Amino acid sequence: MEVITANTKKPLTVVGIVVLALFAAFPLFLGQYWLHTAIVGLFYVMMASSWNLLAGYTGQVSFAHAAFAGVGAYTSGILAAKAGLPPLLGLPIGIAVAAVLGLALGSLCIRMGGIYLSLTTLGFSEILRIIVTNEYEITRGTMGLKTPPLFGEYSKTVSFYVLLAAALLILWLIRRILNSDLGASFRAVQNDETAAASLGIPVVRVRILAFVIAGAMAGFAGSLYGHYLMLITPHILSLDLMFLVLAMTVIGGMGTFIGPIVGALFLETLSEYIRVYGEYHILIFGLVALAVARFAPQGLVGLWRQFRSAV
Amino acid sequence: MMPAPVGEQVTAHAVRIAAINPYISPRGLGMNAKKLHRALVVLFALFPVIGAGPTWAADDSIKIGVVGPRTGPAAATGKAFEEGFAVALDMVNAPGKGVLGKKLEVVFEDTAGDPEKAASGIEKLITRDKVALVVGESHSSAALAEIDVANRLKVPLIIAEAWHDDITAKGYKYVFRAGPSNSGVVNDSLMGFVKANGFKKVAIVAENTDWGLGIKKLAEEGLKAANIPFMTIVTERQSQDHYTELNKVKQFGPDLVLAFVYGFGLHYFIAQANETGLAPQTALVLDGAGPPSLWPDFWKNVGDAGNLELFVSSMNVDKPVTEVDKAFYEAYRKKFGQNPTDYKSRSLFNTVLLAADAINRAGSTDADKLVDALEKTNLTIASGVVKFDLTPGSYRYHQWQPPMLVVQWQDKKQVVVHPKDLATGELKKK
Repeated sequence: MEVITANTKKPLTVVGIVVLALFAAFPLFLGQYWLHTAIVGLFYVMMASSWNLLAGYTGQVSFAHAAFAGVGAYTSGILAAKAGLPPLLGLPIGIAVAAVLGLALGSLCIRMGGIYLSLTTLGFSEILRIIVTNEYEITRGTMGLKTPPLFGEYSKTVSFYVLLAAALLILWLIRRILNSDLGASFRAVQNDETAAASLGIPVVRVRILAFVIAGAMAGFAGSLYGHYLMLITPHILSLDLMFLVLAMTVIGGMGTFIGPIVGALFLETLSEYIRVYGEYHILIFGLVALAVARFAPQGLVGLWRQFRSAV
Repeated sequence: MMPAPVGEQVTAHAVRIAAINPYISPRGLGMNAKKLHRALVVLFALFPVIGAGPTWAADDSIKIGVVGPRTGPAAATGKAFEEGFAVALDMVNAPGKGVLGKKLEVVFEDTAGDPEKAASGIEKLITRDKVALVVGESHSSAALAEIDVANRLKVPLIIAEAWHDDITAKGYKYVFRAGPSNSGVVNDSLMGFVKANGFKKVAIVAENTDWGLGIKKLAEEGLKAANIPFMTIVTERQSQDHYTELNKVKQFGPDLVLAFVYGFGLHYFIAQANETGLAPQTALVLDGAGPPSLWPDFWKNVGDAGNLELFVSSMNVDKPVTEVDKAFYEAYRKKFGQNPTDYKSRSLFNTVLLAADAINRAGSTDADKLVDALEKTNLTIASGVVKFDLTPGSYRYHQWQPPMLVVQWQDKKQVVVHPKDLATGELKKK
């Protein structure tokens, strides 16, 4: 059992501050394009980490996570574009709607597990995407809904810091949850629901709560992303994006705190490099995923740990 | 990405749960956080290094960007664009030519017809590839996303084949269009064709995109003004099943169907219109976009149902409009061993010529000088002599409309049936 003592805390804090300072200084030395990549990377960090909380820690492999991001983005975007509501007010409403849908879907899936839960959430996600695509008079469908930026004038630097702060907030919340009784309950439910119930853990409530928390986090990320891009299309709630989030989590290291962060930043950067290959970039993505699955089933984090123990 | 400090106290509850599975640490993550922090440091340290990235820009070249769909339902347009700029680059970079004494280079970014990909694609071209100017696009929804980025980042964009009026009607300084607009196509071509050929009842089937809905509205207004009865159906862009719509259309009994459906969806539409006994049995179908009727798979997908189908086009290989047009067909045949089929290869060819001309006359790649040069354009391209309209306040601002033709497939041969002065044959209704 890992024990972090007072002696190890200090250097870790210093390392953490250095990492954060380095990341926070990106706008000073990164060009506009790579700043954009970093912002998109932060969105995926939020998405992959929150999905990991649900799938990696409670074992509920939901395919509706991108749909929750879409719900957050469209709620806030429609309120801003059609009703003139300031994005800062639309943002919490987007989170709330995503959380309520998370509650509904989580409740629907109470008695489901494994493939049945996955298929139900996949169906929910596709239904939502079809509705958004076809209700073009409200959502503008595949034409894309134009939304205002979060704060007055558009600024990449401001967007970067907003997304960075949001990602840190999400990671801090996840870390707090994982280190709390609730986090321990999550893992207990994942390992053996019957044993967890015998110890007095309210299994149903824990499972639903995981859906609500993860859904709200995805709604938050999606809403911010929509206002950053100033354009929302059904792509945000597509299975394409969902599988990308899944790949990021698995390639980074599912069920670990750091894995989804590493996976999201790694794959987002990689995708920028291989986009020059046009339609073949999906193939390259698949090859990377296959290579990781074959040679590093525990993800990049697992690979790093193996390397460190070998050294 | 610093994890929260782990508390010293471990709750009895957590210990109880950990007892279920010895591999779970009640303290949290069950991993060596210090090592992972090092991994993160390496990753973050590498990020800006990666971000700096290799640059492929050669000093002896000037880069322009091309935006268009290389994937998705209209991927064939991407191929046409590739052919178009390949022919144009051969001409522009011919010995003794070039732009400002340098070679013109093209960076092609796939937009897949998706507004989000289009916006990020053009941003990549401008901020990463540092292109002087961007040309292309054939999807209005994608173009409407691109114009905001081009105008915000202050880099000229010349739209080739996205027709929605708003693209130029927004009055953006950095946005030009050397191609058709919905209003131009409907008012100058389609309505003239409908009236000249005495069609009595028209059905409009439009896809739910900016182009489809925009051109549908204009066609409705035109038909209303001409007192011609019509009905309208809006369909999903990627739909492969049009039977429901077609049965409604058949009940209405039109003699002309204006199909504003782009991509392979049009092929399904024509084949199914034939199956339901609508076209060409009782009505003609007019493809309001054009290229899908010319794609290589057209005849394979529609079979005999394609006979008598009509489509709009700006190109007629048998009747070159200008000397540049003639040169384009010759160069194309030399390069690809056949005549061009998709007129969008010619549209893209035109925009590259316009871009090279603007850079040469501006004497630099400065965006404002390029805008100034584009506004003073007086260049003969394949479709005619381009002079951009400078009157603000309408879709004509910064636009030049090429003449559009209505062509009919007659026994797998293209026959221009409208306008009369450019016609190569008579319209066949049955």
